[in-house]
Amino acid sequence: MALMGKLAIRHRPLSVNRRQFVLSTLALGGGLMIGLTPYRESMAATSAKPWEGGEGTEFTAYLSIGPDNIVTVRSTTPDIGNGTFTANPMIISEELPLDWSLVRGEYIPPERDLAEGGKYSTSGYLAYFSGRSTEPEKLHELLQLAASTRERLRQAAAEEWSAAVADVTVEEGRLRHADGRTLTYGEVAEKAATVELAEEPAPKPRADWAVLGKQSRNKLQMPMIMNGSTVYGIDLKLPGMVYAALRQSPVQGGRLKSYDFEAVRGLSGVRGVAVVDPDEPRAGLPEGFRAPFGLTASQNGPQAAIAVIADSYWEAQTALDLMPVEWEAGEGARWTSTQTFYDHLSDRLTNPVDPNIVVAEGDAEAEIGDAADVEAEFLTPYMDHFTMEPLNGTALVEADRLEMWLPTQHTQQALFVGADETGLHPEKVLVNQTWVGTGFGRRVYNDDTRMVVAVAKTMPGVPVKVVWSREESMRQGRYRQVMAGRFTAKLDESGMPKAIKSSIAGAGAGHMGIANSPYRLAVPNWLIQTQNVNSNLLTGPWRGPGWNSNCFMLESFINQCAEKAGIDAIEYRKTLLAEFEDPAWIRLLDLVKEKSGWGTDQGRGIAQGVAIGNWGMGGYSSTAPVGFSGTTVATVVTAEVSRRGDIYIPRVDLAVDLGSLINEDAVRQMLEGGVVMTLGAAMHEEINLNNGRVVEGNLDSYRLARQNDPSLPLEIHVHFEGLSNGERFSEAGEPPMGPPPPALAHAVYKLTGQWLNRMPFGRQNLA
Amino acid sequence: MAVTINVNGQSHEVDADPSMPLLWVLRDKIGLTGTKYGCGINQCGACTVHIDGQAVRSCNTPLARAVGQSVVTIEGLSADSSHPVQRAWTELNVAQCGYCQSGQMMAAAALLAQSPNPTDAQIDQAMDNVCRCGTYLRIRSAVHRAAELA
Repeated sequence: MALMGKLAIRHRPLSVNRRQFVLSTLALGGGLMIGLTPYRESMAATSAKPWEGGEGTEFTAYLSIGPDNIVTVRSTTPDIGNGTFTANPMIISEELPLDWSLVRGEYIPPERDLAEGGKYSTSGYLAYFSGRSTEPEKLHELLQLAASTRERLRQAAAEEWSAAVADVTVEEGRLRHADGRTLTYGEVAEKAATVELAEEPAPKPRADWAVLGKQSRNKLQMPMIMNGSTVYGIDLKLPGMVYAALRQSPVQGGRLKSYDFEAVRGLSGVRGVAVVDPDEPRAGLPEGFRAPFGLTASQNGPQAAIAVIADSYWEAQTALDLMPVEWEAGEGARWTSTQTFYDHLSDRLTNPVDPNIVVAEGDAEAEIGDAADVEAEFLTPYMDHFTMEPLNGTALVEADRLEMWLPTQHTQQALFVGADETGLHPEKVLVNQTWVGTGFGRRVYNDDTRMVVAVAKTMPGVPVKVVWSREESMRQGRYRQVMAGRFTAKLDESGMPKAIKSSIAGAGAGHMGIANSPYRLAVPNWLIQTQNVNSNLLTGPWRGPGWNSNCFMLESFINQCAEKAGIDAIEYRKTLLAEFEDPAWIRLLDLVKEKSGWGTDQGRGIAQGVAIGNWGMGGYSSTAPVGFSGTTVATVVTAEVSRRGDIYIPRVDLAVDLGSLINEDAVRQMLEGGVVMTLGAAMHEEINLNNGRVVEGNLDSYRLARQNDPSLPLEIHVHFEGLSNGERFSEAGEPPMGPPPPALAHAVYKLTGQWLNRMPFGRQNLA
Repeated sequence: MAVTINVNGQSHEVDADPSMPLLWVLRDKIGLTGTKYGCGINQCGACTVHIDGQAVRSCNTPLARAVGQSVVTIEGLSADSSHPVQRAWTELNVAQCGYCQSGQMMAAAALLAQSPNPTDAQIDQAMDNVCRCGTYLRIRSAVHRAAELA
């Protein structure tokens, strides 16, 4: 099929009247250079399709101003609900006042990064959304860009009016002369880009900020969400597009044995069948190219699969469901039940096989011996991401080119996976980032992209949208890493732990949040060992990966030590943290204590639990506590347990220190959502195995938190008074995933005398 | 087989099997993609539309059921996002990824049409749509706010 219409426009050569200027900021000896870059053609833009670029004068890749006065602010970081599209324009507006109705978000695509020598991926990979979307370097670069652009606009307007620059002021979207004349930014943008300033302006001092941390802004895409026009990956429509429904080996790691396409060939709309063979060699990447997350079988390798292609998704899925297909289960079938695997995990905790000794401070083994004062075994199961938008993607494979439209979390990884699957040079691959119906880590590895391309390449020249049904999405997860842990401790005369042994086994078992816990400064003997043990299920990052298990285990264990010692759990932690350099931990504990009414009478049948942790420290040191980094979260969960054993959560208090805020309400939103998600997951979620297959396929068997869930918190109070307000702008999405579950378990212990050491908590009979 | 259905006040002739779920007719035949696929089994509510004013999950509603009825989707809830529910959702900055929110708003609009001042219990009962981003508390507040705005 010939490529036509809109699809092709983007690749026409650049015409002179659509020049795009580039100012490269600061990097070149402090001065700004202005140049012309022949980069991808602009199209009439609409933000419902954030991959489509608007026309305009480009000041840098991050900022363009159009003749229609629309200011385009670009991001390398997919907005998956986290608000990157809104944070970047807010930063720009601190120095360059913007008319918010004329702001458009857009992406810097990975092919541009590749074409421009990787300058947008200087940290080693193009920023993707799984944290650190607001790096200070990016903040300062954007502030400088906005200030420099503002001064150029002023000078251009002054020239236009033959006036003094001093007489030109800026207001939202326009320039005003002292005598009242105005010009829009758009009217002078092209001229402004040619202005050479004698000196680049300094961005205003932080004390003068009027937007960042001072105002909250709704998401730029909110109006589109309100009327349903936002184009998520699954909503994409292209001329000549066909639809595929996909089924991968129900036992992950299995193989396709046989299928009978003839049985469904004649059904309405059916076009064809595609088989994906994982054993067929893939191209790999040319010398010098590297996929940020690598190309590995377990992360984004091809799975044995079959897909039916039809004129609509419904027809494709109907035919797929009717088509006889047989599978070779392979190795995974030996996991006859979840319990078989849990027993195996538990056995490995008892009889470690070549464990990885992460920390061996003092001699915990000798101190504890076989007389531990506190002992607990924890389990956090596999869980599904359940992205509201089921997995999907669209690809158009041609002889010398691959173009993809993806609801991905990592466009750069997608680009290289696409190159590997097609054998095309990475420079021949284009990635269009659509809106995303949440990610939580599921869309980082791009195994979904792999399967999209593997199916689409069977129909070269035709755009193919590949959709995973909900059942397929749930049964072909990259699940939350299952983890089991056995913790033992010896307490000293004052009740504080003098030795702890933490033994962890699980899929990708890590030590994040334990080996770098500041408690280590107060515990002279600590042995931390990990073992990587998995079934055939594939795992991957799940909002706060590793840490969402480790924080639960460590904080629950500390609560158990405190209860054993008969010491208030907040005071206990303050003692443990006394030597730590970062006072935020104690400050946050004091804050949630005060705000939650900790220690006061909560009423009959109501109790409170506490926990604290830090997400992001692992980026600085995974084995030693480092203060003033990442995001610290302290929480008090207030709970009730009914006579029937149902858990109710009237209130959650959360105090955070992520440094400084950019968009307060956006941060509050992420924290609230994280509390709901992590408590719902802790209460209900578990993926089970049956002969290597995933049992749960949909919401009839996989329970999620809902509005009418008894354990949905009735109130969530986020407290920002403990912010350190320094130069740190750390993340908000993952941090709330850690402390709430152990705090809930603590409260339930106080009410029932039972420790909830195993998720999902809802399985434990509390009646 | 060609049938005619009325969606957002407009008549559409669609060539589809009468058993085809309304969800896929709306999305793939008529091109209204604001109504979302989430689970396909009547559970998550992302596909909620109105049929004659009632909130209905379109993933399990056959096309035949919509013939002769008035179907309203998020695209037709109001001409300019001025429905009290849309205003309240915007005011309270409810959406995170936004994917489930058209279904949430359609459920809320149907609830408010029936119970102009719903209690928390009524909201919990009527609004059992899934939001994986966890916006439930804002949704509850936004329903109350929409009731005030109406």
